Formats: sequence, C-alpha cells, structure tokens
Amino acid sequence: METIFPLYTNGFFDSHTNLMLAVLLGVMFGFILERAGFATSAHIAPIFYFRNVMVAKVMVSAIVTAATLIFLASIFGYVDYSQLFIPTTYLWAYLAGGLLFGIGMVMSGWCPGTAVVGVATAKIDALFFALGLFVGMYFYFDIYSYIADFANSANLGRFTIDKLVGGDIRISYLITVGVSFGLLIFMLIMKKLVGDKNE
Amino acid sequence: MKNNNYWSPILAGIILGVALFVTFIVAGQGMGASGAFARATAQAVYTIDPSFAQNAYAGKYLKHGNALANWTVLEVLGIFIGGLISALLAKRIKPEITRAKGYSSGKRLLFAFLGGIFIAVATRLARGCTSGQALDGAATFSVGSWIFMLAAFGAGFFFAFLFKNMWKGVE
Repeated sequence: METIFPLYTNGFFDSHTNLMLAVLLGVMFGFILERAGFATSAHIAPIFYFRNVMVAKVMVSAIVTAATLIFLASIFGYVDYSQLFIPTTYLWAYLAGGLLFGIGMVMSGWCPGTAVVGVATAKIDALFFALGLFVGMYFYFDIYSYIADFANSANLGRFTIDKLVGGDIRISYLITVGVSFGLLIFMLIMKKLVGDKNE
Repeated sequence: MKNNNYWSPILAGIILGVALFVTFIVAGQGMGASGAFARATAQAVYTIDPSFAQNAYAGKYLKHGNALANWTVLEVLGIFIGGLISALLAKRIKPEITRAKGYSSGKRLLFAFLGGIFIAVATRLARGCTSGQALDGAATFSVGSWIFMLAAFGAGFFFAFLFKNMWKGVE
C-alpha cells in the first residue's frame, strides 16, 4: 500500500494550490459551523450552566469521527500519521492559556472560529469580540519578550497520548474515544442534575 | 427560536469530523482560526509601523513577506464565506446583541470585547483555539490539546457564576 495522504506534504500539489484549497476547506468549515448553530453565542454560553450541552455533543462526535478516520487510515497505511501537524505541547503555557481561554469564553460567549461565523451573520457581540482579539494579539506581541521564557517552558515536543502512557496509536485511539464519551456522559448527567433546574 | 434547518448536534459533529479528516489528508494540518487574527494584527501594525518587523513575536509572521499569505488566513476567509452562504440560504442574517432580557447591551459588548482580549492572549500561549488546538489536537491524539480543553472548560464552569445575569434565560 502506497501512502498518498496527506496530499500536500506528499507533493501532489504546490503551495499555491494548497492556499486555494484552504479557502474551499474553510467554506466547508464555516458552512458546518453555521448549520450546527454556532453563529450565535446563545447556543454556546449556556453550556457553562449545563442548560444546553449542544457544544459538547458536537465536539465529542466530531473528535470521535475524525479520530476514527485518522486511526483507520493510519493503520491501513493510507495516511502517514507522522506527517500530520500536531502543535508542540508546552505544558505550563497550555494550562495557563486554557484557563484564560475559559474565562474569555464564558465572558464573551465566543471563540475565534465561531466568532468569524458570528460576524458573517451580523452578530454585534461577535464583532466586539473580534475587535478584542485584535487588541489582545497586539498586547501579546508587546509583552512577549517578558513572558517568552514562560511561554516556551516545559516543551514536550509532538506529545501524543501513546508517548504518555506507552503503546502505540491504538492506545491513543482507545483513550481518546473513552475520554470523549466519558466527558459527554458527564455533561448529560450534569444537565439532568443541574441544568434542567436552571431553565 | 427553534429553527428547523439546523442540523442535530450529533449529525453536525459527524459532518464536522469528516470535514476535519478531509482537511488533514489534503493539507496535512487541521482547521484553525486564531492564527489568522494574530497574522492580521501583525500585518496591520506593520503597515503603520515597518519597524514592527523586529517584534520578538510578530517578526516570525512578517519575515517571509505578507503575513496574510498563509493557509490559516485563507481558510478563515473561507469560514466567513461559508458561514455567510449557509445563513443566507437559511435566512438567518439578523443584526443582534445576544444577552439576557433587560441586560445592558453596553455591558454585554464591553464583556465581549474584554473576552476577545483574554482569548487572544490565551491562544498565543496555547498555540491555538477551539479549532486549531482542541479539535485538531484531540483528533490526532495530542496530550496538550486535552490539557488545554479541560483547563478551558474547567475555568469556564468555575467562573460562570460571575456572568450569570448576562446569560440568564438565553437559549
């Protein structure tokens, strides 16, 4: 079996074509986000009160679907898993970034991807969120030299689950599916216990 | 507010997962969003002040020419177009400020703006957002993505009490 995927990193088309395809893939992504109902913060923020766990349902089914396809395509040799881009893990920065991200999400009801669709569909709160993103980026560029050491500390490289627990991609896949469904079940229980009383 | 042409969450998630897989096998990377905002900011500041090319962080975006000539930037342009097409077809484009009944729209917009600042900084620390870090990374078995995701939702639940009035009855 000859590994042909990813097409771009295996030289099937040049970087210019890759950029053209980026627009098309983005159109697909934007269409899906809007159809899922993510063009309004009204469908996103209530997850923090367990009133509407739609965000968890969409994310878990997306992660499980994509992980299953990537796993199967890898073990059958269609995809070269080592060529897939996985961001380098920086433990402390990821933890701090996650905490700030969560506060920002419950404060605004948006994240960067959904806000693009929110702006496209005329949500004024998405527009103000996007303006905040630009200001925040500039702020980060400005302070970066002071926090660079922290931001780049505890560099674990391309740190996948099999490297943490031992084993290979099969372990990674099983744990991913287990944790994903576990979290979804937790959210459904919390909705029953807490959210439905806060309607 | 029940709009019938929304997809069910599970169906939407499965379609999103297939789209994510297609993106990985075509481009070798997943979907992103925050990187486009970072690059657009860098390019805008650089246009006003060329010495910004020396900036310790933004310099890496500017050294290969225009910071906007980038996969994630063009993909985010596509997200905008795709969202617009879907909403036009479903007749769902309506200017609004989503908030609880009676909640000040000025306060809502101020918090949206501040939330944007928080999230911008967060994405630079975490090297991505809900798309480029959480979804892509979880689907490709990255440990860091789960650390990010659990921290983000944990913080969201923990601080939710502060914004209860803003989201009261919103659905």
